[in-house]
Amino acid sequence: MGIITTENLIHEYIRRDENGDRIGEKRAVDDVCLDVERGQFISILGHNGSGKSTLAKHINALLLPTDGRVVVLGMDTKDEDRLFDIRKAAGMVFQNPDNQIIATVVEDDVAFGPENLGVPPKEIEKRVEECLKAVGMYERKDDSPNRLSGGQKQRIAVAGIMAMKPDCIILDEPTAMLDPDGRKEVLATVRRLNQEEHITVLLITHYMNEVTFSDRVIVMDHGKIAMQGTPREIFRRVSELTALGLDAPQATVLAYRLRQKGFPLPEDILTEEEFIKAYHELPEEYRVSNPYDLLPKKVQESVTLLSEHEAPLIELKDVTYRYGTGTVYEKVALKNVSMQIRKGEFVCLIGRTGSGKSTLIRMLNGLEKPSEGQVLYKGEDINAASYNRKELRSHVGLVFQYPEDQLFEATVLKDVCFGPKNQGLSGEEQLARAREALELVQVDEDIWNDSPLSLSGGQKRRVAIAGVMAMHPEVLILDEPTAGLDPHGRDEILSAIAQIRERAGITVVLVSHSMEDVANFANWIHVMDRGSLLYAGKPEVVFTHTEELKRVGLDVPQITKIMRGIFHPQEKPSMDFITIEAAEKALLSGKE
Amino acid sequence: MLREITIGQYYPVSSLIHRLDPRVKLIGCLVYLVSLFLFDSFAGLLVAMCFLGGVIILSKVSLRYILKGLRPILFLLLLTVIFNFFLTPGETLVRWWIFRITKEGLYRGAFVGARLIFLILGSSLLTFTTTPMQLTEGLERLMYPLTFIKVPVHDLATMMSIALRFIPILIEETDRIMKAQQARGADFETGGLIKRAKAMVPIFVPLILAAFRRAFDLALAMEARCYNGGKGRTKMHPLTFHARDYVAFLYLALYLATVIILRRWL
Repeated sequence: MGIITTENLIHEYIRRDENGDRIGEKRAVDDVCLDVERGQFISILGHNGSGKSTLAKHINALLLPTDGRVVVLGMDTKDEDRLFDIRKAAGMVFQNPDNQIIATVVEDDVAFGPENLGVPPKEIEKRVEECLKAVGMYERKDDSPNRLSGGQKQRIAVAGIMAMKPDCIILDEPTAMLDPDGRKEVLATVRRLNQEEHITVLLITHYMNEVTFSDRVIVMDHGKIAMQGTPREIFRRVSELTALGLDAPQATVLAYRLRQKGFPLPEDILTEEEFIKAYHELPEEYRVSNPYDLLPKKVQESVTLLSEHEAPLIELKDVTYRYGTGTVYEKVALKNVSMQIRKGEFVCLIGRTGSGKSTLIRMLNGLEKPSEGQVLYKGEDINAASYNRKELRSHVGLVFQYPEDQLFEATVLKDVCFGPKNQGLSGEEQLARAREALELVQVDEDIWNDSPLSLSGGQKRRVAIAGVMAMHPEVLILDEPTAGLDPHGRDEILSAIAQIRERAGITVVLVSHSMEDVANFANWIHVMDRGSLLYAGKPEVVFTHTEELKRVGLDVPQITKIMRGIFHPQEKPSMDFITIEAAEKALLSGKE
Repeated sequence: MLREITIGQYYPVSSLIHRLDPRVKLIGCLVYLVSLFLFDSFAGLLVAMCFLGGVIILSKVSLRYILKGLRPILFLLLLTVIFNFFLTPGETLVRWWIFRITKEGLYRGAFVGARLIFLILGSSLLTFTTTPMQLTEGLERLMYPLTFIKVPVHDLATMMSIALRFIPILIEETDRIMKAQQARGADFETGGLIKRAKAMVPIFVPLILAAFRRAFDLALAMEARCYNGGKGRTKMHPLTFHARDYVAFLYLALYLATVIILRRWL
């Protein structure tokens, strides 16, 4: 028997109506049997609402089983006398980095757990130092958590659990709210703790590429265990994963697709290195001559194909933005940025956290004013005294990060009416606009009169986007619209945006951290680095700058790395392969 | 804009005053504030000034930074001084139309003004040299006797430190939600009082919802880390008095004695 076992675990949430009367129950965890050995790294995958978080909360007795049993180190979680022993043995790290840090100083926060357990002061001091060193945050021990990045905060949270000397750490979607850098940091830390300190790890996530190194993967669906096995055993079942609302790494998907076409590739490819190696071992007749040689030698970088002769819709001229001028906190968020956005384009803005993306998009509808330089909309300076900025905001719609946080009305329909109401439209027109916008983002009519609070994460987000679309903007700007969503929710939102663009004929500006999403959707990208514009161009051209992008903390899609790894183009190519479809086509050329 | 507000503006340098136990500083501050109201002569204020000056020099906080703290109350200060100038009865020095300045008025104005300045400087020095966390801890320990009359001192202290942690986060969130609603055409700047109050609904509702969500998350995280109120809790750095704290108490006693002597016999 391992250190954690669950026996036929069932958990039901009781649903109540407005008066608090019981109207039914929802089974969140359904007959789960789990056995975790000491020292293992176990990943639990599943889409939102699959019951994985509920399961995790049982392991440190934050929730108790409706039926069945959970045993941690021989202690039944129903045994109230052992409650603190259980929580000490199985520590838990949560999703939101801000909401789990209690103290105003890093070191005090790490000490919080052992203090609660009544550990003597000298011992606490020793543990805090050890744990902060283990997560690589010792230099920041006297800092305020508010000055740390999301990834650093999560590492502090891990240190806070480590200081309680647990046998096992459970991480409930610890990376869902982080940028790619933060994700890497946290995963590397957790992996090191598992390998060097032999801590048992239960990682709950919906990112497939985070679990490739785990000992065992458990996939949950509707409260049940749907699949279980080593990452290789799980990932070869690509079509089943897709059906469960999950997705496999690009290398796995590409191998799967080629296998469907008869390529004798192994079934268990997870990483780009494995794909490259397997490709080189293919029989001669399946390999193609270097597709990079077939690409045009030169592409013009400076113009777009869509509307090269038209004047730009939005133009930034030498924009600089400083804040906190005259204080010690003065910072330059944007430095001499000039860019053009043309009508009808799908523009993506990429850059690491703090590169100025969010500030830049707030410039586009006049929410922030540049310290120097001009922002032009249809050739007019939007910061001129006589310019009607309120009207501009209905032409240039802006959807903030986590836009569901701004919903406030009693029903979905009323909330979407808020924008049109501010535009001064009549009640009739407001409703017509709201209905049209909700249809556009594909929100089911059944829930139009529900409270926005009762919706799922993905639905809320679409309602928030509808709230902006109802104002009939000509430009739709979205700040990381997929943050915190599972792969299924992410795909839904992105395809909804692509459809809106086609059906409403508008220009889209999207801020994103995911190179794969950018490659799939954008027809023009802007790369930001420390407040400056680094590159602007077509994605297949910009992603040829592999090394430079890595240097500024960004990356290229995995598929690009695979193609480069296989064919090693002699000189820097003029274009690159950035989508699975493009790569598949290149590798299949003449082979069907 | 909202992000630039700082609370309890701690001045991070290392000095003797910074290292003192917060309990010493809290008691010292209290004694000093009371002493200001015990004096009614300039001689007394001179003693208070020497005491304050000494502490400022030891604290290594720049004088300019300290004086900057007076700016928000400048208006109040001027008003007090001017009222005292004109409204104190006594021997007239200058007379112009219905206004007159008396000798007593000048004296009173200068005295009250100086007292107000010392009051602000003294109490701001406490926040300059003590982190909010230390203050909370000091207060918790000083108020410990109140637990015997069922005051939940530990809970109050925990609430205070959590509030300190979340104020900057909530301010940032307010800023973000405000901008988000503005992007949907909301208007907070024009219109009468009622219209403006109504315009706040789209900010407050999401803000309160978010605060509840955070509170729920935080409670869960605290529980998961075995928080169980103050019972059986230890501290990583428990407050203990060092030699410097006893010396500080000695000086404080000396100051208090001077104050009492001055008041009684001078």
